[in-house]
Amino acid sequence: MVDLSIILAGFSDAFSLTNLLFVLFGVVLGQFVGAVPGIGPIMAMAIAIPFTFALSPIVAISFLVGVNKGGLVGGAVPAILMNTPGTPDAAATALDGYPLAKQGKPLKATKMALFSSITGDTFSDIVLITVSAPLAVLALKMGPIEIAALMIFTFSVLAGLMGSSLIKGLIAAVLGLLVACIGSDPENFTPRLIFGYWDLFDGLPLPSVAIGVLAISEILHRMSESFGRVRPAIEFVESDDPDQDRVTWAEYWGCRFTMLRGAVIGTILGALPGIGSTAAAFMSYAFAKASSKDPSSFGKGNLHGIAASESANSAVMGANLIPLLTLGIPGSVGAALIVSAFMIHGMQPGPLLFENQGRLVYGLFGAMLMANFLNLWVGQIGLRLWVKVVSAPESIIFSSALLLCFVGVAMATSGLFGVAIMLIFAVLGYLLSSFGYSLVIFIIAFFLGPRFEKSIAQSLALTNGDLTQAYQSPVAVALLILSVVSFFWFLKRNAAVEKEQNS
Amino acid sequence: MPIKSKLLALAATAMIAMISPSLAADWKPDGPLKIQIGFGAGGSTDTMGRVLANEMEKQTGWTIVVENKPGAGGVAMFTGISQMPANGKTIGMGVSIPVMVQLVQRGDQLPFDLDSFDYLGTVAKAELALVASKDAPFDDLEGMVAYAKEKSTMPVAIMAPPQILMMKQTMKTTDAKFDLVTADGGAEVMKLILGGQVLAGFGSGEQLPYLESGDMKVIASANQSRLSYAPDAKTFIESGVNAYVEPVFFLAARKGTDPAAVAAIAAAIDAAVQSPAVAKIVKNATNGSPLNMGTDGTRKMMFDGLDNAKILFAQ
Repeated sequence: MVDLSIILAGFSDAFSLTNLLFVLFGVVLGQFVGAVPGIGPIMAMAIAIPFTFALSPIVAISFLVGVNKGGLVGGAVPAILMNTPGTPDAAATALDGYPLAKQGKPLKATKMALFSSITGDTFSDIVLITVSAPLAVLALKMGPIEIAALMIFTFSVLAGLMGSSLIKGLIAAVLGLLVACIGSDPENFTPRLIFGYWDLFDGLPLPSVAIGVLAISEILHRMSESFGRVRPAIEFVESDDPDQDRVTWAEYWGCRFTMLRGAVIGTILGALPGIGSTAAAFMSYAFAKASSKDPSSFGKGNLHGIAASESANSAVMGANLIPLLTLGIPGSVGAALIVSAFMIHGMQPGPLLFENQGRLVYGLFGAMLMANFLNLWVGQIGLRLWVKVVSAPESIIFSSALLLCFVGVAMATSGLFGVAIMLIFAVLGYLLSSFGYSLVIFIIAFFLGPRFEKSIAQSLALTNGDLTQAYQSPVAVALLILSVVSFFWFLKRNAAVEKEQNS
Repeated sequence: MPIKSKLLALAATAMIAMISPSLAADWKPDGPLKIQIGFGAGGSTDTMGRVLANEMEKQTGWTIVVENKPGAGGVAMFTGISQMPANGKTIGMGVSIPVMVQLVQRGDQLPFDLDSFDYLGTVAKAELALVASKDAPFDDLEGMVAYAKEKSTMPVAIMAPPQILMMKQTMKTTDAKFDLVTADGGAEVMKLILGGQVLAGFGSGEQLPYLESGDMKVIASANQSRLSYAPDAKTFIESGVNAYVEPVFFLAARKGTDPAAVAAIAAAIDAAVQSPAVAKIVKNATNGSPLNMGTDGTRKMMFDGLDNAKILFAQ
């Protein structure tokens, strides 16, 4: 157990003026780059790391934490205001955020995202600070077989998002899986479907596919719908109702269970390295929709939809640090970048980190809490600015968004190859959505497919090729039974909702 | 006339040869020097590359831009370098083994070979170890083989193609059977060992905190020689399995780069590798010390390594 004096010393290191300023700078930077379509917080951290060389370890890591947390809030902005999510997890936020923004309530939608993001984030931070060690031990017990079962469970829950046509949903999912097969296989590293392009050996670059399918194809749609008349990208509806532009306490409190559920899902999935925020966001969304009294209002601007998605995907980021700090295992690219910052500043994450560097770890915790508060304040101001920006004429907004997507993807994938892939997937996404195939299902399948394949391959190796041995793992068996139950439950519920809508 | 022009050419060559060392000191990149890293942001190659670039920038005053070009363990990046003009503006940093593996396994599909590059130097050598949980009922490779035979099979976590080949060679030599669980990097190997899903696996530095805490032990060195931090653990070769991998972090430019540029960049790398900042990051990433083999040494290491890889991976 760490000495109380070390905890206090760590926190007092964190709450210094220099540190406060650097966290503030990080949050502002993170919110800004997170909100710019095409450049995410990961990109911002990768660029920022060399600038932290000259800083002291605590300041450097606090700054990076600020960038990461700011990016989480910023990422929801383009998803809600323009329906152009830059990352797959923000796509869940767009499902209800964009309809709400179109109803003339962009500020309300983005503020709900801000509040639920910070709620989820703070929840997982508190879990990290208080019970990270026992949670990490539990996470270790989740081996490949359990992870594979958990992913099957995730898929069964996501089936609830399939929409009206099961066939079209399945086609979109299979297409996503096919695209995910490009690159080396996860077992023997044999290249598949790369046709001599060695840049594809590790698979299609995620930023290219995500931004092409989700953002650019949406911009193409919107451009095809414009009629030569200048109009703002988001229309404000003038109203005397002051509640239109803010989230009331009653609305926030009404979402408390949704946010709590999202935060718990996000924390659990975040503590398990490698599943990630996309699964958490969509799973939380599916649960919120299923447990709602009025599921048909989802996708039409329900605040619960935004709360579910944002609380879950933000909770993942804090929880990613659980395996990182206790075991040295990064759960995401963002966490891997924090490891590299640790190494540059002479810390080695692992079992002895709390013992050897306790003061620094508690300093990091202090910085995380500080970043959450700053995120809230900066967000309140920043969101007004973004809403103003997006109310500019479409012609200006779309052309600048396109430019930023191009630049962002070129930076994230280091070259024009990634931009070419982005354009291919933009056209594919445009065609898919024009013909009524769900882009969200496509991108989830693309994103989770390789992870699922890897855990199946590992399970096969561990069970010597005999997957029926999975019955020896009680956790896996429980998850598989839950999967079957939830699959049929969601299908039945979907059918019931549809019947209701038709009558 | 022909004799005269030949003499002139000879004189010119001699002149160039004589003045090139001083040119090396004067050469500086025309614009920013780009260092492409063959791995994604956040890994040990990336971290070391960025610290190295930062040191070079400080020492030489050049503007250095670091880019990540992940793909196929650096092969995507070196493919790009091999197609670029040899103008000394872009150099690549990668790891020797993945490049050699791809050259051996599908060299005919690659647009380059080892002769496509001018080698600039190395930063460090990675020590690859086979480690096991402290509770594992064996302490060395022979013991592990005996245990696998007793249990009829045993899962081992690996993270890259050369380790698959090393384990296949082990199976072939000893007739023991191992189930190879492919993990996504060294950190996941450690997770599988700590979680008890596998008993042993390969680590290239990720295992060090666990060795220190006593949660894991070294079973064998996968390098040609024993590990600096575990001199008692035998190598695979000493244990009767004729296989080793020796991953080296190296830098190279397109063949035909101006010798003055090569000399200047190599000198800059050498000076940076000797800095305390690089020593610190190499220590943190590999637990070893910085190692620069120089231009000729790096070239020899790559060619010798490829010959060894051909023998090892021929099966």
